[in-house]
Amino acid sequence: MDQNFDIIVLGGGPAGMTAALYAAKANLKCLIVETSICGGLVNSTYVVENFPTYESIHGMELMERFQKQLVGAGVIIEDVAEIEKIHLIGNIKKVYTDTGIYTSRAVIIASGRQPIPIDLDQEVDQIHYCSICDGTAYKNKDVLVVGGGNSGFDEALYLITLGVKSLTLIEQADRFFAAKSVQKKLLAHKRVKAMHSISLIRCNLENGQLTNVEVDTQHGNKTLFVDGIFVFMGQKPSTDMFKSILPLDEQGYIVTDENMMTSIAGVFAAGDVRQKQIRQITTAMSDGTIASLCAERYLRIR
Amino acid sequence: MGDFIEITEKDFETIVAKTQEGLVIFYKKLCPHCKNMEKVLLKFSAKNENIAILRINQEENPEACRIAGVERCPTIVIIKQGAISSSKPGLMNPKELILFYQNA
Repeated sequence: MDQNFDIIVLGGGPAGMTAALYAAKANLKCLIVETSICGGLVNSTYVVENFPTYESIHGMELMERFQKQLVGAGVIIEDVAEIEKIHLIGNIKKVYTDTGIYTSRAVIIASGRQPIPIDLDQEVDQIHYCSICDGTAYKNKDVLVVGGGNSGFDEALYLITLGVKSLTLIEQADRFFAAKSVQKKLLAHKRVKAMHSISLIRCNLENGQLTNVEVDTQHGNKTLFVDGIFVFMGQKPSTDMFKSILPLDEQGYIVTDENMMTSIAGVFAAGDVRQKQIRQITTAMSDGTIASLCAERYLRIR
Repeated sequence: MGDFIEITEKDFETIVAKTQEGLVIFYKKLCPHCKNMEKVLLKFSAKNENIAILRINQEENPEACRIAGVERCPTIVIIKQGAISSSKPGLMNPKELILFYQNA
């Protein structure tokens, strides 16, 4: 494989893939380096219903279609890459992975976010972060979903289709953050109970098997009898590898200007990894578009 | 995915019995970690051509899941000398998979 590119995109979610598509359409040689698989968090979304053009589509299917379009446009993708080192200062940027060293004159960081693990000082085998992966074992069983955002409600809907006996959804904050339409859809099921202002404090196990959990209801503790727990407590930015290189905000997001430029010449950031208020597939794509066109301009005028 | 051989529960036990060195990935169609794991298997198979890589759809083959004791996906089931020698659910990176296979 050619190791030299015009643009290297770090991360293959909607922002990174959009940036790569625009780069390819501008006849730039573009590589996506992805530590997992292309698609980002959308892959974990069972159903996407707010993406223009599709009334309803599985997240993974949407991203597979996108990846196919990229490959057709000539974008090179290195997935399940282990990034060992990154050199961003200077005219030539370098990305060291387990399969080679790649160079480019511009880099677009689109490394996105990753799920926040639950903060419990316990090892519990029945705590899960993916209902599609681990939900089947809970048919006719009682499950707890932690997190009242879009992910929590979306994954809860999937668990209902698997035939769980009961589903209790709890949210720590004083309201649910999921879109009203998704809330309505889930709460229409008789097997579902959803409560906010409640947090999980302890799991009780017998011979390694979860028997019940204790929750803090703000009016005292309460016991819930559940067989498994699915956690969707939001995400944190995947920026550990940039900590010492780029200015990050207090939460760890990369700070850019409106053209997606970071403080390092030739380094741009796009999508969920960037400091901003709204994080949707469509806004990630907008960021990716801007980052790519500005990177193209940067390469052209230098 | 790649050149992996798709099997079903009809031939699961026969194929296991015939396989000297191999592994099976139990997957689901819409499982992102399964897709990720299959990419890891592609890297693994490139360096281990003698090891048969098989895949089986978990949702369509519940009997094979029962036989192999698989509840979650992805689960990697290692076959050595015609028998299941070990299994592990969840994601592994290429290095972890090599180590897991060697110790199975």
